[in-house]
Amino acid sequence: MIKITSKTTPILSGLLLCALALFSALTHAHHVLGRPSYSLNEDSNTPPSMAIETQIGEYFITYMVFPAFPKPNEPGRVNIYATRIDNGEMLDQTITFTVRDDTFWGESIGIGDGAKPEVIGQQNIDDGVYRQGFLFKSRGSYIIRAYFEDNGEPYEIDFPLQVGAASPVGPIGAAVGFIFFLLLMINIVQRKRIARTKIQQGQTV
Amino acid sequence: MIMTHPGLPLYWAYAIGIMMLLLGLLTMAIKAPTTSASRSISLAKLPLIGDLFRFLAKYTWPLLLLKIIFAALFITVITAGLWGTPIVERNLATTLTWNLWWTGIIIAIVFSGSAWCALCPWDNIASWLVNHSIWRRSSSQSRLQLKVPNMLRSVWPASLLFIGFTWLELGIGIVASPYATAMLALLMLILATTTLALFEGKAFCRYMCPVGRTVGAYSQLAPIALRPIDSEICRNCKTLECFHGSDKIAPCPTKIVMGRLQENTYCTSCGNCTQSCPSSNVSWQLRSPSSEAIKEAKPHMDEAFFLLILLSLTLFHGLTMLDYWEGYLSEMAQLINDSGQLIISFSIGLGVTLILPIFIYCLCIGLTQGLLKKRLGAMVTKLSFNKLFSGFAFISLPLAFSYHIAHNLTHFVRESSDWLSLVTNPLGTGAEPLSMMEKHTRHMEMMVSENTLFIMQGIIIAIGFVIATQVIRHRGHRLFAAQGITLLPMILFAALVTGFNLWMLVQPMTMRM
Repeated sequence: MIKITSKTTPILSGLLLCALALFSALTHAHHVLGRPSYSLNEDSNTPPSMAIETQIGEYFITYMVFPAFPKPNEPGRVNIYATRIDNGEMLDQTITFTVRDDTFWGESIGIGDGAKPEVIGQQNIDDGVYRQGFLFKSRGSYIIRAYFEDNGEPYEIDFPLQVGAASPVGPIGAAVGFIFFLLLMINIVQRKRIARTKIQQGQTV
Repeated sequence: MIMTHPGLPLYWAYAIGIMMLLLGLLTMAIKAPTTSASRSISLAKLPLIGDLFRFLAKYTWPLLLLKIIFAALFITVITAGLWGTPIVERNLATTLTWNLWWTGIIIAIVFSGSAWCALCPWDNIASWLVNHSIWRRSSSQSRLQLKVPNMLRSVWPASLLFIGFTWLELGIGIVASPYATAMLALLMLILATTTLALFEGKAFCRYMCPVGRTVGAYSQLAPIALRPIDSEICRNCKTLECFHGSDKIAPCPTKIVMGRLQENTYCTSCGNCTQSCPSSNVSWQLRSPSSEAIKEAKPHMDEAFFLLILLSLTLFHGLTMLDYWEGYLSEMAQLINDSGQLIISFSIGLGVTLILPIFIYCLCIGLTQGLLKKRLGAMVTKLSFNKLFSGFAFISLPLAFSYHIAHNLTHFVRESSDWLSLVTNPLGTGAEPLSMMEKHTRHMEMMVSENTLFIMQGIIIAIGFVIATQVIRHRGHRLFAAQGITLLPMILFAALVTGFNLWMLVQPMTMRM
């Protein structure tokens, strides 16, 4: 048995504090505001999302997407909050949300299946926010467009969205890979050609 | 909001119009030109700058240093384009490529001829990768050294790539996308490397590169070129190191024998000949500007088409930057029910602008042929059309070049970029788009005064027409001893193009960014 004396009290208190700190850190890793991580979704108070603030025409726009990097077949949501720059009044119109593939060619000349935008939905203001849910079945880079009209002026707000992991081979990787493969192949062909010439020369001599 | 630059004052157009009328009449009235040899001065022999040119010809490291600097800039452009901000004016990829390089390269030809090709990062990086050597003659086994197929042995590949790039630049809008700019740079590098690895010499530079061919064509008008110092030494030379190379120095990449060189078109100014010549007989020379276009350059059909396409694309470039262009495009789109990016309408516009000047040129050639037939009768046969077509195509060179420079001067002088912040932050990390205030400031901050710019533009357009009439006189005389009224159709063609160029310069021009 450990006798609790005035000498052991500070040591025990220290140990207790360490244990408490350790447990509180673990708790923090598992919970956000008292909710377990497995139940976190777009309705959480502090969801792990990506938020962007921008200014377009006469409006300040705040855009939030949950989760910041969604996976295929995982539901997500886009929230938009728009206020007038001059008087802070909230936008109260219908916003149409569309999605298209984020490719330079798709956008410019409409090449590819996903070049044409697909309407995800039309949303009205709900508690000061426009909420649009989504679910992507395949991974890729997409552009979500929020469209509304105000005083006859069209407003188009584009947001990039990466679903699933990005392609591991980027343009640099593809270019370097192509050049490396080409030079390697030519080197092999040239070595074979030189060897063949040497053998032929040997036979004639 | 689209901002525009004010156009050339109308009195310049009237003054140049009167000059064209008088010069056109004079060209028909005066006697046929007598053939005289062009004069040239070796820059290496000049008292003050001669030392510098001798130094540049003797040592390889200054050129190598410049090549490395340009290659590093090229890699920075790709990095900034792929990973930098999409804000066009804040990314080094777009500003350096389109605002400085693409604009400045044309103006630089006036002072340095085809020197750009020696510094070209596509070709240099490709050479380093394939040859495994920085500058010495290589024995690398990474080249197949195949003969270039006959169908590629012309400047048609360069012409088609040039049309393609114009379509990408103005139609698809790669100018406004750092990412697409970087992708285009990568594509050029892959093309240069693949061609170098497969074919002998530098097939990409000679037959395919639209920039190289444009620089080559325009440098026929440049007052500076690499030439033999003493042509007698070349005449007696039996070893032709300039063509074959030496133990250390690679042969001429575009297969030019310096002693027989008459036109700058395919010289890439790589300096191999200056290094390999045992008599140190090759150097930069100052010569009568445009003498090649006027009389020395030999006409070829594919090159003639390239020159006319160059003229058409230069006109098209100017046309797309006018206020009217958007209106034309919208009307066309409504007519054919085109929507979205209006890419079909744009392509039709490009096609029409490409064909129309060539069609008018053919018409003028046909008229010249008709007038010559009346004078010379049986001497003018069916084949004469091709001869006249390729011979007179050199007219388009000064007309295209003068407008190209005058147009680019507006971009260069009026559209300044914040180079300090671009160099210190090439990727534009955390940068904001240009505010209206900044746009206005840039618009107002000109490199030279507006009047100086107008004077320069007016003089350049006038010089373009003067050289065109010289080409008409000399080439007309050489082809069919044509003079007097037989030259009228070609003078009218030159006047029509110059008139159109003037009209475009008088209009307000949209600011690039």
